[in-house]
Amino acid sequence: MSMNSGGRPGARKYRVWDPLVRITHWGVALGVLLNAALTDPEGTLHEQVGYVVLGLVVLRLLWCIVGPRMARFAAFPPSPAAALAHVRDMLGGDRAVHLSHNPLGALMAYNLWLTLLVLSITGIMMGTVAFFGVEWVEEVHEAAYGWLMVSVALHVGGVLFDQWRTGVPLVRAMIDGRKAVARDRPVK
Amino acid sequence: MNATAGKLLRPGGPDERRAAVLAWMVVIQALCALFFIGDVVFDLYAGDGQAPGHLWLEGFVALVLVFGLGVLIVELRQLLARMERVTASLMAARGEMAEVIEAFFSDWGLTPAERDVALMILKGFDNESIAGIRGRAVGTIRAQSAAIYGKAGVDGRTQLLSLFMEELLAEPE
Ligand code: HEM
Repeated sequence: MSMNSGGRPGARKYRVWDPLVRITHWGVALGVLLNAALTDPEGTLHEQVGYVVLGLVVLRLLWCIVGPRMARFAAFPPSPAAALAHVRDMLGGDRAVHLSHNPLGALMAYNLWLTLLVLSITGIMMGTVAFFGVEWVEEVHEAAYGWLMVSVALHVGGVLFDQWRTGVPLVRAMIDGRKAVARDRPVK
Repeated sequence: MNATAGKLLRPGGPDERRAAVLAWMVVIQALCALFFIGDVVFDLYAGDGQAPGHLWLEGFVALVLVFGLGVLIVELRQLLARMERVTASLMAARGEMAEVIEAFFSDWGLTPAERDVALMILKGFDNESIAGIRGRAVGTIRAQSAAIYGKAGVDGRTQLLSLFMEELLAEPE
């Protein structure tokens, strides 16, 4: 798993995110940005971007089952107990680094995926004859959108915080697939 | 000799490029499959007087796309698994190689400075580069390499390297 070639001296490199994980991540992020800020919510482009985001999320979830070890549900199970333990470890000054998502990050990933599913499914419903103009569908769509914005802010904040805390350039890892971990930090 | 050229599995190496191309194909084909499936479902519900032949054709295309997607996913999965295996055995081999090198160096009684130089010789650096990296005169490095070859009982760089290759490739006794 680890790669020693290149990078900062004193850092081990671990190949963690395969290209499919990275493409789907940045594709989803781009789609969310487009639909939140640029496309006309009534327009077809908004709908089409929504379909693409849904497709990417579904593909990523499929990859959580058939993908390589690091990309699977099993590598970052949703566990509030583990998240709490992780917070305790952090406060206790634990220096270990998680190769996959840390347990808090894992909860955020599931939250983001669920929110995106709710958002795109209600979005599609709003375009169907059966649900056109139905109020609760629109309300759920709006609420999911608000929640997604809060979540994305927390997500990016959390990534930057953990990057600072562990010294592992996480954003770069989402770009080139490798986590560079300082030699004096154990990995989990 | 360029010591970084031709490393197995370096970033951007052939395996990584292949994996990236495959992943892009999986993503694009998944979106196409979704589009056709969505279209079929939509046509089934709307039923707006389209010829059944059209529906069959779309359904067939969707099926072919999904099948192709499955093939691509299996392919990508196998490639990634192989990359992981190669990396794992490379790590194991590196660890063992380091031990073998360490054993030889101790056996020959190299000084710490000679160890550093010998390691760089093994990595393929020439005297000028080693002098540059260590901030010493080329003459110093030349003298140190001569001492290393003397202690190892070889007459030069090539023989030194072949000592280690032999150790790696020999049948275990
Ligand atoms: C705008 C919408 C965004 C969404 C919906 C989103 C969603 C997600 C999701 C679902 C994951 C889990 C990834 C997986 O396992 O496949 C993730 C991970 C990640 N995201 Fe985002 N993301 C967004 C934006 C960003 C931005 C702007 C950045 C850069 C600062 C970023 C950096 C990361 C990183 C570094 C990870 C991996 C974290 C780790 O190492 O555990 N994301 N994101």
